[in-house]
Amino acid sequence: MDRRQFLLRALAQLPTAAVISLGAGCRGQRQFARIMQPGEETMMGSHQAGAETFEPLVHEAVSKLLARHAGQPIQQVSFQESVETLPPPPSAKRICFVGVENKSAEEIGDFKDQLYETIDQRILESQVFQPLNRRFVDAGLRDTRLRPDQLFVPENMRAFAAHMEQQGQPLDYLLYATVTSGTTRENREYQRDYQLTLEMVEIQSGAYDKQSAELSKGYHPSRLSRWKAAHQAGQQ
Amino acid sequence: MRGRAVVWGIVAGAIVVAGGCATHADRLHRVRTAFHQGDLEAAERFVAEDLEKHPGDAEVLDLDRAVVALSDGRPQEAEQLLRSVRDRFDHLEQESAAEDAWALFTDDQQQAYAGEDYEKVLLRALLAIANLMQDGDDAEAYSLQVAEKQREIVAAALLPDGTNPKAAYQQVALGPYLRGILREQTHRDYDDAARNFATVVSWQPDFLSGKEHLARASGSSHSRRGHGVVHIFALVGHGPCKVVAEEIPSSAALLVADQILSSQLNQTLPPTIASIKVPRVLAAPGVVGGVRVGMAGRLLGQTETLTNVSNLAVAQAAAVHDLAVARAVVRRTVKKSTIYGAKEGLGVQHFSPVALAFDLAGVAWEAAENADTRCWGLLPDTIQVLRVELPAGDHTLTLQAVDRRGVPVGRCLPCSVSVADGRNSYCVVQAPDAGIIGQVLANGP
Repeated sequence: MDRRQFLLRALAQLPTAAVISLGAGCRGQRQFARIMQPGEETMMGSHQAGAETFEPLVHEAVSKLLARHAGQPIQQVSFQESVETLPPPPSAKRICFVGVENKSAEEIGDFKDQLYETIDQRILESQVFQPLNRRFVDAGLRDTRLRPDQLFVPENMRAFAAHMEQQGQPLDYLLYATVTSGTTRENREYQRDYQLTLEMVEIQSGAYDKQSAELSKGYHPSRLSRWKAAHQAGQQ
Repeated sequence: MRGRAVVWGIVAGAIVVAGGCATHADRLHRVRTAFHQGDLEAAERFVAEDLEKHPGDAEVLDLDRAVVALSDGRPQEAEQLLRSVRDRFDHLEQESAAEDAWALFTDDQQQAYAGEDYEKVLLRALLAIANLMQDGDDAEAYSLQVAEKQREIVAAALLPDGTNPKAAYQQVALGPYLRGILREQTHRDYDDAARNFATVVSWQPDFLSGKEHLARASGSSHSRRGHGVVHIFALVGHGPCKVVAEEIPSSAALLVADQILSSQLNQTLPPTIASIKVPRVLAAPGVVGGVRVGMAGRLLGQTETLTNVSNLAVAQAAAVHDLAVARAVVRRTVKKSTIYGAKEGLGVQHFSPVALAFDLAGVAWEAAENADTRCWGLLPDTIQVLRVELPAGDHTLTLQAVDRRGVPVGRCLPCSVSVADGRNSYCVVQAPDAGIIGQVLANGP
């Protein structure tokens, strides 16, 4: 084929390709959704932690904390159960869940409030503690102008407890949750260890308790490297 | 006789095609002028007229309608418009092979407008501001979407070789700022607030108040007891707009290439006489430099630039400029090939009158192209903010637009705002050429 023929064919094919593309179609619907069934495997966050990380962390950390403080075995509660709960027994200790602090390397975005509500709900359902309503907690923080991280200074803690008592919301414990992470890199792959820590302080005595749960997650640049990592883990 | 009729037919058709249409930039001019002079009624009427004549450009015109509605004290309408454009832009981000192909035979104006990257981010930020002027329930979700969209845009531009032309995009600091002030107001999520203000400081280092916000969120409280905070958002100056720019070097190179090919092939190619046109983003900041806020004869402060929309738009356009030129060159090649193919198919003789007519038609077809100058025309030059801590209660602030030397521009307007203990209140003003225009919006808890 000489140069002239080559150019001729190339030129002739350009508009043909364009015309074929014309009939190739338009934009379709881009977004699809479905209801995920109870017990169905959650999606895996490909770039950061998601439900697959936080749900087991919350489950483990809260269970450990409740188990330690329950006078009797903890009633297991699944995530999907009804939100209707029985009122806590009169002896239940009143606990103020101050908030969740994110100290991890990732922005957890809308998960933060979700974490708060999940932990709060599980504590309420356990009937080991009686959590204060979040709106009272928020109002107390606003009125006293104390930051959550300042509440663990004894003087601030007493001032906050006194204020809450004045508002008709006496409390026995303060609870604080912290999400942290540690990252280990190996070229383009990395492992991130997530930890959820629950810290609890008894207001009267200042006694301190702490429970945590950990989960490690590997991030891979390709399906193949993810498969290789999973395969190696399976062999060990 | 028949040959002459064919020649005249081709030339007449080409002249009709080459007649061309006014670009979006031409139509936008009167809208911008009316709006910048504070004539909201005229601006709204002009946009409505354009919408009637060009329903295909509904998305970009709705963006302008939203700005006018916000300025005219209708934040709910503004939010509805912006939300619908956001959803349409998300849909239009998908490639349409048919539209892409049609654009190869015509120009980029024939494609549905999916919005520039900065527009997609800013519309979410303005959604948050419009929502804060109502109940504010969705403002936090919108502010999260600002960050999410920015991440998505950069991630989607990753090329197979690992490079990313959009990685150097300047990010919109308004998103994390909004999230920071909303999280700070909870009195519980100071860590979130500090993280977001740290992002603001890193993305917009010349926003001097950013460091104060970061320091406060890291170790202090939202406000003193018995006090609340008023956040003033000022949309200041003229935003960027697109104009038609001629790509002379690329056009000259293409002309040389056609001549070489014409001498090598059976038929001549239409010469590149009409230069290649691409859109160029122009910054035209205007005279207003900020808004001074006072109370009871006392100056409380002046708004400070948090996001420079013009700089953002110019930089983003520069990052994807080569792509726009490449698309225009491909279009020319397709058009030349089509003319060539038609001449070959019809067995037109080299240098015959019919061949000349085809070349003339080709030139006219190429000249009919225009650059796609569609853009969000009523964006401000800068989005500025001021945070003022005031005792709880009702207050009347005074707002005065000033130029870059501090000389007042336009009238000084009062703004009644209600401040609650430990809570945020918000004010929004728009200040293009004529000083503060439309209504000053205020919303308290």
